[in-house]
Formats: sequence, C-alpha cells, structure tokens
Amino acid sequence: MNKKKIVLAEDNSTLSLLLKFRLEKEGYELHMAEDGKKAIELIEQEHPELILTDIMMPFVSGLEVISHVRNTLDLKTPIIVFSAAGQEEMVLKAFNLGANDFMGKPFSPNELVIRVKRLLA
Amino acid sequence: MDTSTVNIILLIFHYFFFVYSATAIASYMILAIISLVETSEYKKKNSFVNYKEILSSRVSPSISIIAPAYNESLNIIENVRSLLSSHYVNYDVIIVNDGSKDDSLEKLIKSYNLVKVDYLINQQIPTQPLRAGVFKSTNPAFEKLVVVDKENGGKADALNMGLNISKSTYTACIDVDCLLLEDSLQKMIKPFLERTDVKVIATGGVIRIANACTIKDGKLLDVAMPKKFLERAQILEYMRSFLLGRMAWSRLNGLLVISGAFGMFDKKIAIEVGGYDTNTVGEDMEIIVRMRRQMEEKRIKYKVAYIPDPLCWTEAPDNHKIFISQRNRWTRGTIETLKTHRKIGLNYKYRELGLLSFPYWFIFERMAPIIEVVGIIYFGVLLALGSIRWDYAFVFFISAYLFFVIFSLVAILSEEHTYHQYKKKGTGFKLILTSLLEPFIFHPFILYAAIRGNIDYFFNKDLKWGEMKRKGLTKEVISEVVEQK
Amino acid sequence: MIDFQYIFEYFNGAPLIIQIIWMVSCVLFVTAVVLIIYLKVFRSHLRKNEKIVKTFQKKYEELLITYLYAGVEDEEISSEQQSIINKLKSEIKNEFKREIVITTLLKLRNEISGEMADAIQELYCQVGLLDYSLIKLRSSSWYIIAMGIRELTQFNIEKANKQVVKYANHSKSEVRKEVQLYLINLFHFKGLDFLDDLKVSLSEWDQIQLLEVLQRSKDQEICNIIPWLKSENDSVVIFALKLAEIYNLFETKEVLLELISHKSENVRINLMRVLNHLSIFEAKEGIKRNFNKRNKEEQIAFFQLLENLYDTNDEDFILKQIYNKNFEIKFEALKILKLFHNEQFNNLKLTPPESEFVKIAKFLQNN
Repeated sequence: MNKKKIVLAEDNSTLSLLLKFRLEKEGYELHMAEDGKKAIELIEQEHPELILTDIMMPFVSGLEVISHVRNTLDLKTPIIVFSAAGQEEMVLKAFNLGANDFMGKPFSPNELVIRVKRLLA
Repeated sequence: MDTSTVNIILLIFHYFFFVYSATAIASYMILAIISLVETSEYKKKNSFVNYKEILSSRVSPSISIIAPAYNESLNIIENVRSLLSSHYVNYDVIIVNDGSKDDSLEKLIKSYNLVKVDYLINQQIPTQPLRAGVFKSTNPAFEKLVVVDKENGGKADALNMGLNISKSTYTACIDVDCLLLEDSLQKMIKPFLERTDVKVIATGGVIRIANACTIKDGKLLDVAMPKKFLERAQILEYMRSFLLGRMAWSRLNGLLVISGAFGMFDKKIAIEVGGYDTNTVGEDMEIIVRMRRQMEEKRIKYKVAYIPDPLCWTEAPDNHKIFISQRNRWTRGTIETLKTHRKIGLNYKYRELGLLSFPYWFIFERMAPIIEVVGIIYFGVLLALGSIRWDYAFVFFISAYLFFVIFSLVAILSEEHTYHQYKKKGTGFKLILTSLLEPFIFHPFILYAAIRGNIDYFFNKDLKWGEMKRKGLTKEVISEVVEQK
Repeated sequence: MIDFQYIFEYFNGAPLIIQIIWMVSCVLFVTAVVLIIYLKVFRSHLRKNEKIVKTFQKKYEELLITYLYAGVEDEEISSEQQSIINKLKSEIKNEFKREIVITTLLKLRNEISGEMADAIQELYCQVGLLDYSLIKLRSSSWYIIAMGIRELTQFNIEKANKQVVKYANHSKSEVRKEVQLYLINLFHFKGLDFLDDLKVSLSEWDQIQLLEVLQRSKDQEICNIIPWLKSENDSVVIFALKLAEIYNLFETKEVLLELISHKSENVRINLMRVLNHLSIFEAKEGIKRNFNKRNKEEQIAFFQLLENLYDTNDEDFILKQIYNKNFEIKFEALKILKLFHNEQFNNLKLTPPESEFVKIAKFLQNN
C-alpha cells in the first residue's frame, strides 16, 4: 500500500524531528524542508497529499509557499499552516490564499495528527 | 626674522602637533573603552529580550519605512521585496521615486500590481510636487507597499515627502538598496518603547558592508570578506567607527549622526523641526543635530539611541573614484552641518551637545584631515631645510603606527566577541593584514578626499551628489557620474 | 647583525622623552603581537565551538524525541526513558552541555502544548536541571539570577514562587521584569498583584510583553482593575486602560469618565481609545468642554471617537471645528460632516471658505 506523502516545512529542527517521528508512526511518509524554498522544491518533486508549513521561515515565507501551490502550481493539495501565537493578520492572509486549516503555536502534536487524518480521509 | 623667533615658531608647531595627537589618541582610547563596556552590557541585557511578543501585539506602534529611490531600476524589485519581508506586523513601506529618469516606476507597477490611488497629502513639510502620483497594490500580499512618484528634489526632499505621506508614529529612513534583516524593526523600535525616564527621539543602526556577501531574493545568505583592499579597509573602518566609537557616544548621549542608510525617528518630532534640509549634502547628520537642538531648547530630557546588532547591509564603494566622491560628500556634509549649527558650539545652554559633541566633532572630525595635511607639509618643509630630528620623528611614527594598528585589532576582537559575522577561515588573517597596511594604503585616500571636500566646499558650490551606477547588490560599480546642478 | 651594544648606548644617551616613547612603543608592539595571536586562537576556538554545539544539539534532540515517544501508559517512566534520564543527568554536570540541553528542551517546549509539553517539564525536573536553576537564584550576579528566574518561568515551576518573589524589588530592572513575567506566566491575572505597589514606571515595551502573555493564557478570568485605574503610578493606569480595552470591561465606565481630567496627557490619549472602543457616550460632553486645552493627539483621537458615537448634539461642535487651523482636525471634521450632514457638506463644497476645503472635499468625495 502506498504511504501518503506529507511535506513539512519548518525551520525549528527539534519540532521538525518530533513531528516527523509522530507522523511516521501514524504511517505517513515525511519529506522535510527547513525553508520555503526547499519546501517548494520538494512539493514539485514529490507531489505530496498534504502540506504542513510554518509561516515565518527564512528566504521564502509560508504564505508564499501557499500562494505558489494554489496559484502557480494550481493544486488543491490540503495545506495546514502553523505560526506564532496571535498573528491574526497572517492567519487571514493564509486562508485568503487558500490554506485549509491553521494551528497557532504552541499546539498539541496530538491535535495536529487528528487534523491531518481528517484532511487526508 | 631671526633664528630665535623661528625656533619659537617651530617649537609651537611641535607642541601643537604633539598635544593634538596625544589628545586624539587619548580620546579614541576613552571612547573605545566606553564602547566596549556599553556593547557588552547591551548584549547581556539583550539576551533577556523577547522580540516575539511585539510582533503579535495589537498595541504595537506603527512604523513607516521610507526609502527614496533615484534611478534604481536595476535592483528596485529585489530591494522592495526585501523590505516587505520584515517580520514586524504594523508597518508599511513607502518608496519615493524621486523623479527617476529610468523605468523604475513601470517595473514596480508591473511586479507589484500597482494602481494609482487618490491620496490626500498633509503637506506639513514643503516638497517638490507629485509626478505620476501615489500607487498601492491590488494584491493583498503587497498591501504594505506605497509607491510615490514625484518630481526630482534630491534625497532630503524625497524623505520629506515620505514624512508627509506616512501615517505612522515612527519612520525608518533607509537607503533603498540596503538589505534589512527580518527582525530589524523590532530591534530598532525597542529603545523608543522601553525608556520611561527620557524621550528617545531617534535610533541609529550599524551599517555592515555587503560587498562579496551572497544576497538572493532579498535575503542575506552568506557573509564573506571581499577581495579588494579598498573594500576590506572600509569594513575595518566601519568596525572601528561603530564598535569603538558610536556606542560610546550613544552612552554619553552625544551622538551627532545617525547613518542615512538606516535610522529610525519619532515622526512627530522630525516634522516639528521641519524635516530634512534640502540645502545640504549631509542631511542625515543635520536633522539629528536639529532635533537634538530642539529638545535642548525645550529642556526636555531626551536620548538618541543606538543598536549595535548587524541589521542593515549595504554596498560600499569598491572603486577609488566613487569612494573619494563619497568621502568628499561626507566631509562637505560635516562642514555644512557644523556651520549651520555653530551657535551651539561651546554654548553651555546646550549641555553635552554644545560642550562635548560639537567641539569634539569640530576638532577631531572636521579639522583632523586639515591638521594632518598641515603636519605633512610642515614635515616636508623641515625635510627640505634639513632640520629633521630623525630620532624623534622615527620613534613618534612608530608609536603612532602601533597605536592605530592596536586600535584596529581591538575593533576586530570586539567584533569577534560580540557578533562574529565573519566566520570563514582565513578572514582573521585578512583583517589583520588589512589593519597593518591600512595606514599606508587606505588612509592617504581618506585624507585626499577630505581635502578635496574642503576645497569643494569653499570653492565649488555647484557640486552636489555623486551618482552611483549599479550593476547589482553584490557586483561591481561601473563608473561615477558627477551630477552638476 | 644587530649590534646590541650600539642600541644600548643609543638608548641611554637619548633624551628622556624619547626613552619613554621607545618604551611605550615596545609595550605597544608586544600588545599588538599578543592581540594578533589571541585573535587567531579565539577565532579557531569559536569555529570549533560551533561544530561542537551543533553535534551536541543533534544528540540531545534525538534523546529528547526518543524519550517523549518511549513512554508507556499510566504515566510511569519506562526503562528506556529512565536510561535517557540517567544519561542526561551525567551530561549536564558540564555547564557547557547543560546550556545546550536547556536550549534544546526550550526549542521544543515553546512550540508545543499539551501532554508533550508537560512531559518536557517533567524531564526538566527529573534530570535535575531544576536544581541548577534554583542554584542560579542564589548567585550574586544579576545576570545569572535573571537567567535562573527565566528558566523557572519557561519550565513552569510553580513551587519556586517564594524564592522568585524575593527579587521583586531587585535594583536591576531586568531581574524585576523576569519576576513579573514569572508571576503572570504562571499565575496569569492573579500574578498582576505587583501592580498594586509598583513604584517604578512600567514601560510600553514591558506592557506589551505582559499583555501578550496574559492573552495567551487559558485562564481568562480577569480581576478587578479599578484600583489600578486609580493608581498614583501613571504607567499602571495606562496598563489598566489597555486591559479595559482588550477585555471589554464595561463595568469600569464610571472610573473612566473620571479619568477625562487626569493630569497626564499620555493617560488621556490612551483613555480616548478605550472610550471609543467601549462606546461611552457620556464622555463626549466632558471632553468637548475643554477641547481646546487638550493637545493635538488627544484632539485627533477624539474625532475618531466622535465618528463612532456621533449624534445631533455634536453638530455645532463639528461646524466649529472645520475651521480649525490644524489640517488633520479639519479633515476629520469634514469627514464627519460628510457622513452625517451630507447637504451641509455639499453646500460647503460649492462655496468653500478656505482653499484647503477644496482639496479635502474632493478627496472625500472620491473615497
């Protein structure tokens, strides 16, 4: 059975590792990027079923990743965005650009897994 | 004239040079020590600061980044993108296209989906009128951008237009080709918000040299040491000046200049003093002196703060012609500002500003090149007369040289202890070599440029801004065109 | 061949001043050489350090993640977890490694919540880092005390309350700030009690930090802020005003009305915003009465309030203010006129008494 692919764009290496561990335990195939640029490359290469991205990242921000996926690549891949607490403006922009779900940091990894499963069902 | 009079004159000269050099060196040492203390205290305090909270706060103050642009078509898109990617939330970017003769405006309109908007300008400072108008973007991703196209009026005039247009409480005035790191705005606004005992009127930032650094899509990817001696010498010079000089002045509240390349101001006060002076080439120094003067006259406790973190990276001249033209302009700016505000010199009514900063700047910044050249001429005269006491001369030169080398070494070391930006192997050696050779290779150009500046100031009133032709933020500068007005 | 004899004779025969300067030069030369050597050594030390730190970071990251997923049910510590705890216990004996472990734990702790976050806190205590933090509190250097308090805040150690609160009035503001952050991070609104006796000013920066932490906490039960609105300390009043705005504290209306005549400009400007936000109509008359005595910022803020709470009683006031010398006030007044008395606005447009009216009117017309 083919594992569902997820691209995770997050510059915090510890958090990345945690999520990778957790999501791989749930049976997904994880591809990691430390910045938006690498994330876009991975998305174009791997055609994931789901994208998880942080908003504040070096070089290319999460918002640009979403914009690239929805507008340039014209894909309907579900996208979950996470970012630092209280940045409502960013959240609104993310949704306007086409994100499917949003989680404010700090978030519970368990809840993230639930939402991932829901979007990939 | 008999020999005893001549001897007396010679003796006076000797004493004068000796006292001047000794005072200069002593002052550099004192400033260096104060700077080092201040920087290390800043770093300690800063390790406790959380810059994240202000990013999401609904009571965070509004900031406008004002960037004047003249014929910057080559890099304008890249530069604007970099400015738009700051992490601060409550800010906007005002690009003032100062009557550019190239296609800057067209490029911007295309890349950022701009449309002309109706904008009611509160003309608090008189400026040249609008040309094509005010533009904003239809794309919500670029809602922070405002582009103003106006008739040419010079950098100060463009900044004033920005001040008129801005609706924010604070303005960050920068050179459009400066690369601002993403957390610059939070760091620069902090002094304004954290002092309760004095009013902070302006904050200055450190300018770092971006030559040979890798910059892509408006982000600083890699810091490297340039190959040319001229560029390396400037890096060293900036290190000395910022790390061993300005931090001290900030602590003493005697800072007379904030680099025009990156500074943040309380907009209300900047407008109250009448904005930037369009009649000077040193408008960055002049407005600070004027703002300080007003606060002194109003008897309000104030401070001009300084952030030593490397936040702003810019291209330094890598070609001697342009370098001399730049230093020439700086010299004229200093002379003009000191002259305009000569009333505060040694005037106890202006406290540190008049009794410390002004005299220091006059004696050791403005007059230093002249005194040095007079010294050289004097030395030449003595040489011709055959009356050099070589034993004196030799030991003085050696000790002066060693002082300056040590100064540079201390600057390099303090940079290593604080920000350690140049991580690559071999850079230490390059910097040391530069500091050893600098007095012989670099310093003469500085002197020459300063003298030219003085001559041009007194005899050539038509000279204004030199024009830098750009090829790219990390590439070579082609040639210099002097703009005659 | 250097003739030492000659140099020695020369030196002795030279005048005093030259002797002194030669000695100074020698000292300088030695200093320069020492500095150069130090520079090279230091740079290579920094380079090595960076590599070491990266290696350790990776190692501790993996240990941490493994620990978090090696747990079993019933909150018992599994054997695998215990071995990791023991390993870390020995690692942190070294100060350098200790700092890296703390950074790694925090890197993760700050991003996640829930059971995992609690697990990290448990680990912090189990491994013994808690004891090291408490030791920091007993240091004589303000820097170390503040660091210790910060660690206790970051790892949510409530039981250290008594030790931390001792420093609430420390001479260094950084320490005091850390204590305040500790109190509100752990005890949320109850931790704000320090505002009652605060003698020093709470800067805007500090207020923003406190507000953000409060807004993030799950416990949103705000306490009574009225005593703070009446505080002698202006910065406490301003902070309380911010709280009133953010948490919509309508019950403070009476006190807010009293503040209209507060002596501090800053307080009044902040007050204006709150009055607007809470739609307090009764405020208008009081402010209009001595409008001209207030400063420009207050006046302009008042117009924003007026736009929101306008009624026909304010018509005379507006008609007067459109002739105000200040451009911004004129603009705001005309804007309100257009919104609520369009016919009068149009009349003015046809026969503008001042040139600036034309500019403003045209702009308002199009936007």
